[in-house]
Amino acid sequence: MKWKSMKTFKEFSTSKQLYHPELSSNDYEVVADETLDSLTEFFEDLPERLRCDEEYDTSYGSGVLTVKISNKWGTYVINKQTPNKQVWLSSPKSGPKRYDFMEGTWIYKHDGKTLHQVLTEEISEAMGTEIDCTKCAYGKQDTS
Amino acid sequence: MALFRSSAQLLRTAAEVRFVPPPALYHKNVIDHYENPRNVGSLDKKDKSVGTGLVGAPACGDVMKLQIKVDDSGKIVDAKFKTFGCGSAIASSSLATEWVKGKSVDEAIKIKNTDIAKELCLPPVKLHCSMLAEDAIKAALKDFKIKNQSMQTAAAVD
Repeated sequence: MKWKSMKTFKEFSTSKQLYHPELSSNDYEVVADETLDSLTEFFEDLPERLRCDEEYDTSYGSGVLTVKISNKWGTYVINKQTPNKQVWLSSPKSGPKRYDFMEGTWIYKHDGKTLHQVLTEEISEAMGTEIDCTKCAYGKQDTS
Repeated sequence: MALFRSSAQLLRTAAEVRFVPPPALYHKNVIDHYENPRNVGSLDKKDKSVGTGLVGAPACGDVMKLQIKVDDSGKIVDAKFKTFGCGSAIASSSLATEWVKGKSVDEAIKIKNTDIAKELCLPPVKLHCSMLAEDAIKAALKDFKIKNQSMQTAAAVD
């Protein structure tokens, strides 16, 4: 009995867990920062891997990541929304979405899709080649 | 390298701020609604012909209340809003009340956040405000529907 409750506690205290109904503020900060840092690195390195538009630009500061793909395609904004422990995405293709942390990743409750799935699909289309954002931190849904 | 680039950018921005007047950051359509908001106020939320939508979270700094008054034929004859939030949130809800007025309930539900964002020329980071306005319209319509369904059920029970 004691062992079981210990196990439950351990499961809940890890940041990558199956379901995160009550993510603590500290956990949120850690997870959200790692998510944005990882995505920032991914988008900053993108021009080194493939040809980007002349206008391609990324910037990150105070929990806001801005990625300009091109004048024609538009600009993505991904930001921390600390009061409700969410990450918000503003996409020039699909509009605004609000993501909650669950199943080890960021999920939009309205359509069940993850932030990284949407980015992978849209950025692949924008670049005209397959790119994979789900390799970034907290980019994969824990389905086990 | 990235650090160098951003600090260089910072220096340049600082220099620009000193010598050039800062540009107007809000689009004129937003400023128009912000300075001259349409349909500010409240309707009687107990009135069965009134639907009330309250969306947003106080902690985030955006709360939007949108109310509609529907006549017997299902047409929205009046709309009011009260919004606590940024200029774009206020403009989005002001525009939303303007657009729902005169529409039928079925037409109003089709108003999209993208239409609002387009009309106000909202920048990417402010698209969420237009989404909040769409949510507010939907919440008000839903409230109206639920109210009138229960009225019908109550009448049937009587």
